[in-house]
Amino acid sequence: MKQIFKRISWVQILIWLFLLIVLLFTITPLVFMITSSFMTSKQIIRMPFSWIPETFHYQNYIKALQGNDGAWIFPRNILNSLIVSLTVATTTVLIASITGYGIAKFNFKGRNVIFMLIMATMMIPFEAIMIPLYMVATGLKLQDSYAGLIVPFLVSAFGVFQMRQYLTTFPSEYLDAARVDGMGELSIFWRIVFPNCTPVIATLGILSFRGQWDNLLWPLLVTQSEKMKTIPLYISKFAEEKMTDEGAMMAVAVIASLPMFILFGALSKYFIGGSTLYDSRKG
Amino acid sequence: MKRKYIGIERKQARWGFAFTVPAITFFTVFSFYPIFNAMFTSLFDKRVLSLAPPKFMGLGNYAYIFSSPDFWNSIRATFVFTLGTFIPIVIMSLMLATFLTTLRSKKARGFFQIAYYTPAVISSVVAAAIWLLIFDPRGLGNQWVNMILNSPGVDRKWLADKTMVQVSTMIVYFWKYIGYFVILFITGLFAIPPTIYEAATIDGSSQWQSFWRITMPLLKPTIVLVSIMAMLQCLKTFSTQYLFIQGGAPRAPINVITLNIYTTGIRNQRIGRASAMSIVLFLIMLVLTWLQFRLSKSEDVEY
Repeated sequence: MKQIFKRISWVQILIWLFLLIVLLFTITPLVFMITSSFMTSKQIIRMPFSWIPETFHYQNYIKALQGNDGAWIFPRNILNSLIVSLTVATTTVLIASITGYGIAKFNFKGRNVIFMLIMATMMIPFEAIMIPLYMVATGLKLQDSYAGLIVPFLVSAFGVFQMRQYLTTFPSEYLDAARVDGMGELSIFWRIVFPNCTPVIATLGILSFRGQWDNLLWPLLVTQSEKMKTIPLYISKFAEEKMTDEGAMMAVAVIASLPMFILFGALSKYFIGGSTLYDSRKG
Repeated sequence: MKRKYIGIERKQARWGFAFTVPAITFFTVFSFYPIFNAMFTSLFDKRVLSLAPPKFMGLGNYAYIFSSPDFWNSIRATFVFTLGTFIPIVIMSLMLATFLTTLRSKKARGFFQIAYYTPAVISSVVAAAIWLLIFDPRGLGNQWVNMILNSPGVDRKWLADKTMVQVSTMIVYFWKYIGYFVILFITGLFAIPPTIYEAATIDGSSQWQSFWRITMPLLKPTIVLVSIMAMLQCLKTFSTQYLFIQGGAPRAPINVITLNIYTTGIRNQRIGRASAMSIVLFLIMLVLTWLQFRLSKSEDVEY
């Protein structure tokens, strides 16, 4: 007991102080977002800022969903973001796992070349190919459609890499046993390999979902009509008109963040696991 | 008997190849084709809605962008942003990670990690939107700074002044990604076996000495890799700058390369010029990525 007491020195107090100051810095803007989403514009820009809303100004949320023009386009934009993010997460997980499985567990000619080529695409930043991709999308008449929003992100090289790394250690005996039992290759993948990839599936799924939920650049290029736009575009439009209503803008921000907070609360392990990995295809 | 065995192997191999076909097709169409297309297009005077066929102009687009003050300004903005963001992020996150590993309470450490990471959960557009309000002349940014510096009523012009607006974008990025880099460093720090520290302590090394003599050298590869990763991220920045300009900030100080590509290619429809810029960005990042690969291979430490 005496020893423990002795060890708590002023250095440790300083460390704690420093950690707490940074904590304040990271957390207050988020708290600000939530509290001010229940305030009137007048209260938000009042000096000094009062952290507890005096009134529960829920009208901000109605205004957020309704939009400044009252066209109720935001719900549609949320739906678009959900459709795009969920589809991309699904296809990324499926295509990455089957490709990773093919590369990790089969001996075919050119296997290493294929793997190297896929890895090489990680060096191509999306920002450098967005203009040609835009030309491809317009060439295929995909502009302003879900297909156009989704197609460039169907799978990521990073996902293939993750899956391959994970499946290299998968015991081949299981596969051989299944083959001896007369199982087809596709059903071996679907019924034995895929269900055993859950940790990578979760990490990769979240990473891809976030990537699209956050993507501003590509939807900016490929969509034209209001009803095809996604959440980030709606927010940027709101930012342009922000002087009209700050509270509503924060309500938009809260609504846009809600799915992410829920995912983070439920699956923070995979969230953080995914964050330590580098993804070059993030928009 | 033996022949039949080979047959099965071959058949299997064919399946393996078949499994990779969707991905190969995808990457050919959506990665390799676009990058070669960008290289090719950068040699032409191409516009989107022009009926005349694109005119070949050799390196004319490159000559144009490299003599254009606007493009040099973008290079400047991008590098100022990258340096001003990644250096503080790396130093701060290394400090925080080291401090966090000294905490004996696992719960406290976990809590700080999660709390620092939370800003990374929200999207970068939302982050920019929040800070747009904080940087409002009557917003929290001025209130905080004036409280700390005890200078009531001073407007720091976060979004109006051309130096301050650059600092503001850096703050947003720093805020959003600090937790992410803390976690990267914590992973690196925990990879160093505690026995080394124990041995050093027995030999009479103080914590401070241990940090500079053991942690820093062993962590060097991680620091280098994380720095390059951070730089690559910063070079691609777009959302924060775009949102700030939408919110009324001046364009020139924060007109980063990606933003310039977007404006030149999509708004002004100068596809050739935008492609040349894309290739320049690609080459800068390629050099960094190559460095990353080189370093990650040669500096693999075994404990």
